[in-house]
Amino acid sequence: MKIEYKLQDKFDVISFASVCLLIAMGIVAIFSATVNHPTASGNAERQLVWAGVSVIVFFFIYFLPHRTFRLLAVPAYLSSLILLIVVIFAGKVVYGAKSWLALGPFGFQPSEFGKIGLILFLAYWLTHKKRNINNFTDISSTILIGSIPVLLILLEPDLGTAIVYIAVTVFMLFWGGINLFGLFVVVSPGLVVFASLFGTAPLLVALGFILIGLYYFKRNLFTSASVFVANISAAFLFDYALRLLQPHQQRRIASFLDPTADPLGSGYNAMQAKVAIGSGGLLGKGFLEGNQTQLRFIPEQWTDFIYCVIGEEFGFIGSFLTITLFIIVFIRLLDIAYSSKDEFGSAIVIGTLSLYFIHFVINIGMNIGIAPVIGLPLPFLSYGGSSLLVNFMLLGIVFNIYRNRKEKI
Amino acid sequence: MNDVFFGSLTRRKILFTIIIIFYGLISFNLFKMQILDTFLYEEKSDENSVKKIVKSAPRGIFYDRNYNVLVSNKPSFELSVIPADYDTSNNKLIENLLGVDPGYISQIMYENRRFSKYVPLVIHRNAGFKLVSWLEENSSFLPGVNYEVSVQRDYSFGVNGAHMFGYIKEISQSEYRKYRDIYGMGDFIGNNGLERSYERYLRGDKGYNYIIVDSKQKFIAEYTGEKNRDPIKGDDLVLSIDADVQMKAEELFRDKTGAVVAINPQNGEVLAFVSSPSFDLSNFSSITSNDVWSNLLADTSKPMFNRVTNSIYPPGSTIKMLMALIGLEEGILTKSTTVNCQGGYKFGNRFFQCLHKHGTVNVEKAIEKSCNTFFYKLALDIGLDNIVKYGRRFGFGMKTGLDIGEESSGLLPDENYYNKIYGKKGWTRGILLNIGIGQGELSATPMQLARYAALFANWGKSKRPHFVKGTIDSETFDFTEFEYESIDVGIQRENFDIIREAMRKVVNGQGTATWIRLPDIVISGKTGTSQNPFGEDHALFVGFAPFDNPQIALAVVVENVGHGGTHAAPIARDLIKTFLRKENKITKFSEEMEVVQLEN
Repeated sequence: MKIEYKLQDKFDVISFASVCLLIAMGIVAIFSATVNHPTASGNAERQLVWAGVSVIVFFFIYFLPHRTFRLLAVPAYLSSLILLIVVIFAGKVVYGAKSWLALGPFGFQPSEFGKIGLILFLAYWLTHKKRNINNFTDISSTILIGSIPVLLILLEPDLGTAIVYIAVTVFMLFWGGINLFGLFVVVSPGLVVFASLFGTAPLLVALGFILIGLYYFKRNLFTSASVFVANISAAFLFDYALRLLQPHQQRRIASFLDPTADPLGSGYNAMQAKVAIGSGGLLGKGFLEGNQTQLRFIPEQWTDFIYCVIGEEFGFIGSFLTITLFIIVFIRLLDIAYSSKDEFGSAIVIGTLSLYFIHFVINIGMNIGIAPVIGLPLPFLSYGGSSLLVNFMLLGIVFNIYRNRKEKI
Repeated sequence: MNDVFFGSLTRRKILFTIIIIFYGLISFNLFKMQILDTFLYEEKSDENSVKKIVKSAPRGIFYDRNYNVLVSNKPSFELSVIPADYDTSNNKLIENLLGVDPGYISQIMYENRRFSKYVPLVIHRNAGFKLVSWLEENSSFLPGVNYEVSVQRDYSFGVNGAHMFGYIKEISQSEYRKYRDIYGMGDFIGNNGLERSYERYLRGDKGYNYIIVDSKQKFIAEYTGEKNRDPIKGDDLVLSIDADVQMKAEELFRDKTGAVVAINPQNGEVLAFVSSPSFDLSNFSSITSNDVWSNLLADTSKPMFNRVTNSIYPPGSTIKMLMALIGLEEGILTKSTTVNCQGGYKFGNRFFQCLHKHGTVNVEKAIEKSCNTFFYKLALDIGLDNIVKYGRRFGFGMKTGLDIGEESSGLLPDENYYNKIYGKKGWTRGILLNIGIGQGELSATPMQLARYAALFANWGKSKRPHFVKGTIDSETFDFTEFEYESIDVGIQRENFDIIREAMRKVVNGQGTATWIRLPDIVISGKTGTSQNPFGEDHALFVGFAPFDNPQIALAVVVENVGHGGTHAAPIARDLIKTFLRKENKITKFSEEMEVVQLEN
């Protein structure tokens, strides 16, 4: 028992075990979804290989010296920006987004690896001694750090990943100690832009709420006016940017706003996913017995809709167990972030947590029909090497921070 | 949130709360979907993958009274290709076999490109047996080419009977909305005639096969959750029709316009039923082509129109038996009452013509010779009310209730009718003179006239006319006989005897149809000429045979040919001959003997 205690002290067994269980469930589900598929039948094996590689990389990162990440923060961010620019010109179009870079026989998504760069750099920037998180210029610079990759990703266009980047930035600012007014300033342009998507009336309502908010915060006139002007400009800039988009990109945004506009496209997937999960019942239809899955009523199910394989074949028990494992990981990461003496490390852990969490919420949400279908994979379960590797790399950094949590650099 | 510093406890609590809220939200949704509403989703999931293949049931068969097949079913082959399995390099070969233009198959495939590649596309209906057997032999070289066997009506048994059988047609939108629990879209349903009125016996029960398909409609396996059911053939109908008499009647009317219907006076069974011109039912055995339709609808002789039940004619002299019977029954007339015919009758300042100067005639002579003068006077004596009262008992002005729907009620005009048409003071008793000889407003369908003849044949007693004797259950082969209401006009037998004797003499005395006399069968009847304001008169004959034990009563109408004795009576004779000689009810005579007799 003593040894185990010591192990837990250096290595968070609970979250690692949870993640391993999630991966195992993912591979089982991928196998079930692809076992008879003409082109994807080897995906479970491939995912297993990727999982092996990822675990090795995870342990490599876990044992790296503590200082490494602070040194890597700036180069990682800058190189991911370069790759995001390169992919816009030289990328391969997959599922309508120019998001893949070919690298010899391999391909990878710069926006996946860019997540590490963003989290490291934001953590570095936020926790720098010179910064005051509630200083206007520092908030602005932080937002700028997050916005550059978001804009580049929107050009691919990959709306889902852009949302992830925004959410990670906001969560990290929050953890960084931003005050309520600061948070208001950060979040409000997002709300205004979102409202403007639905038309002029919702935009005006949103602007009205901003005014009420500004009145409530009772800042000086100049500050309030600047915030309001910034909000209006955000709406106009966004509207202008939308017009620059290609017609097919505009259609994607339209179908995101109204999934029923395309019942045979993403609306169909969402409906069939709901049917799959709902028909699973308490115990599920059994491994390889789900007719929705086996008869392929959900296209490309091994990626974004892997959760409904579990829902259909393993029922409420399986799907509830899956989300519970995720919640265990989230709570553990939150504890690690809180217990870490090093602010830089703590910010990285929160960045990682928010990344997992936003993927989790949107992916499960679209599987059970309470969120629109935005192409985001479920961490550790969905088929995909880049995503799995990046998630494990971040987990490796988190575990490294946990190992050194009592130190302050 | 006053603790505005890095990683404060409050911020940790807020993040913790957010995580737990989403945990609760997702768990609640999972619980609702997978535990509370799971049956809803299960249903949808089954709908997705379990497919019900409908197997249509063969319709019941029509038999004649001697169990000869009149209308049956035959297999029909429907050729289809499954695009996913089909090799388009075979296009040329198959297009040649079908005799269609090159590019025909690729055109069909292009038109259906939006459907799943596993859904069969019909490329040819009514494929011949030769073509199908060739495909069967070479099936290994023709992947994705299949044929489906279904059944269609077979009308190849020599009887056409288009107006009696009616035809089946793809169900209409409105009918489908009404009976959607029984029929599916594209099902066939009886559209008219017996096919329609006995639809619920004929249609049978559809069968179902349950299979599992994938999202592309590709067959995966048999589904075991629901029991497959074989289709059950519809019940067969045994008709009272006599195939030989029917065929004879159709043959006799081939170049004529008109109608004939023969019934058994004892029980109202219809023995033959022809409306001419007619149409060929074999064009209606499956999907009817637009050409056939437009030709039939454009034809000015109206071949689709059922003259037996829908066409109304003034009965002409055939009405005289009714007038005489009313006189006798009401005591206005006796057997010996005479009228002196001097070639007509003077009413007011108009003179109503008779065809000859018949001299002194009693009721029997008046019918035998068809003397108008006698009936001008008689009609005035019995009056309109009596004509209406007795006319109704014989079914004039009312539908006969024949079991094929569409039917006209004819016209039996009463006082109200004349008041409405001419005004209260606008008409006189003079209209009675025309009614008395069957040329007035009173008019009847051939079906009504046949029943009228049957009632004289059988002393006023019969049953509602009908085609169907009963049904044969397709599973137990039990015969179920149908019951029909009795008719009794309630008139004394002695009075019928007087009229019947007169009708006998029309053919067998010195009457108006003596030349249809047969040596072995005593035919009784009455000729009539129905005045036609639009052209030549229509020839009528009503009659029955044999005189003592009547087995067949009939009404014949031949349009636009003139006198009834010349044109309608011989048709009646031929049908009576065909029916009674075949039934062996009469000792056989050779044809030669008959000819000798006639020449005498």
